[in-house]
Amino acid sequence: MIAVLALVAGVVLGIVFHPTVPPALQPYLPIAVVAALDAVSGGVRAKLDGIFDDKQFVVSFIANVVVAALIVYLGDQLGVGGQLSTGVVVVLGVRIFGNVAAIRRHLFRA
Amino acid sequence: MSSPAGGAERRTFTPDFLTELFRNPLDPGYADAAARKARGEGPTGGRQRALAAITALTLVALGFLLVIAYQQTVADEPEATKARDALIQQVQKRRSDTDVLQARADRLGDEVAQLREAELGGAAVARLRDLEAQTGLAPVRGSGARITIGDGPTPINPVTGNRSTEARVRDSDLQLAANALWAAGAEAIAVNGQRLTATSTIRQAGEAILVDFQPVTTPYTIMAIGPGKLAGSFREGYAGKFFRELVSRYGMSFDAASAKDFTLDAATELKLRVAVVPTTPPPSGSPSPGSGSTEPSDSPSNSPSKGGR
Repeated sequence: MIAVLALVAGVVLGIVFHPTVPPALQPYLPIAVVAALDAVSGGVRAKLDGIFDDKQFVVSFIANVVVAALIVYLGDQLGVGGQLSTGVVVVLGVRIFGNVAAIRRHLFRA
Repeated sequence: MSSPAGGAERRTFTPDFLTELFRNPLDPGYADAAARKARGEGPTGGRQRALAAITALTLVALGFLLVIAYQQTVADEPEATKARDALIQQVQKRRSDTDVLQARADRLGDEVAQLREAELGGAAVARLRDLEAQTGLAPVRGSGARITIGDGPTPINPVTGNRSTEARVRDSDLQLAANALWAAGAEAIAVNGQRLTATSTIRQAGEAILVDFQPVTTPYTIMAIGPGKLAGSFREGYAGKFFRELVSRYGMSFDAASAKDFTLDAATELKLRVAVVPTTPPPSGSPSPGSGSTEPSDSPSNSPSKGGR
């Protein structure tokens, strides 16, 4: 419940402040979102499994976002830019998919 | 039962990276934490509450991030379409502006013609009318030929994905048709309603064909006022052969038929390039020396196209 409220509060804050992303950070935004979604799906799944852990969630969220941004940055510097990001998206996408499948099994018993 | 299972286990290779990903997408950290908790080593009391607060903060940050990303994407996406929409609007506005101005020019032209008729005598006016009809400055009515040319099929190449454009009507095709009509004795020609004058241009600009800078599209209807056998001589002449060849080779459409009693509008634009004050002041029948336009066919005055105004 608190989690949902916090999420809504974040959304409201974003809408109210309507921040503009500096152009230098723009390439990192989509991949950061994907990484965050990965952390969230993992957290939700753990919650449903009954093994949710606050510390684990926070650390995995921050680490995911930072590492994803770092990989994009690294790809840019190495000159393989988009391709490395694609790799990140594929890996995170697979993880999100697996976690969501587990959540689905929990919710629908199927 | 145990020995086959054991055998299967021995044969199992370590799962490759992707299989591992699919099989076990959850961070093992959660299981570790749960195990720690089960052993009673987990955080308790105040620490637990602090961690919960941090989780809530993280979720706030997450919602924030999602909204920013969403807004960013929404803001990025229409940037291109916005520019496109603005361009389209500009084009449409300019086009309607042009139409309005053209209507005004036509009205003023009519006014000028009326004033001129009121000022000049009957003979001079008749001569002017004839000249205007010949040069395309005045609308004309009469009979002649209707030539219809249409694009052939333009299939998309399955390999390259490019549209084949060789069956399209080119500007040179229209030029050839217009020239053949002039040669066959046409006195006034219009392509899709665009009246041709002696200085008209038929040009290709990318995929569009411009007649006097006005775009025309397929099917192209060329109306020509001329002698009764105009359509027949066009069909039998070199142009007819050329277009029949195009039809059989590329699948274009071509038709030449006689047409009766139609009106061709005046040309939209005819710039006055040369003007000379006649040396003999009274306009009593003598041909004016500095007529700016050059009529391709010096058509006689007993043509059916005169006096259409």
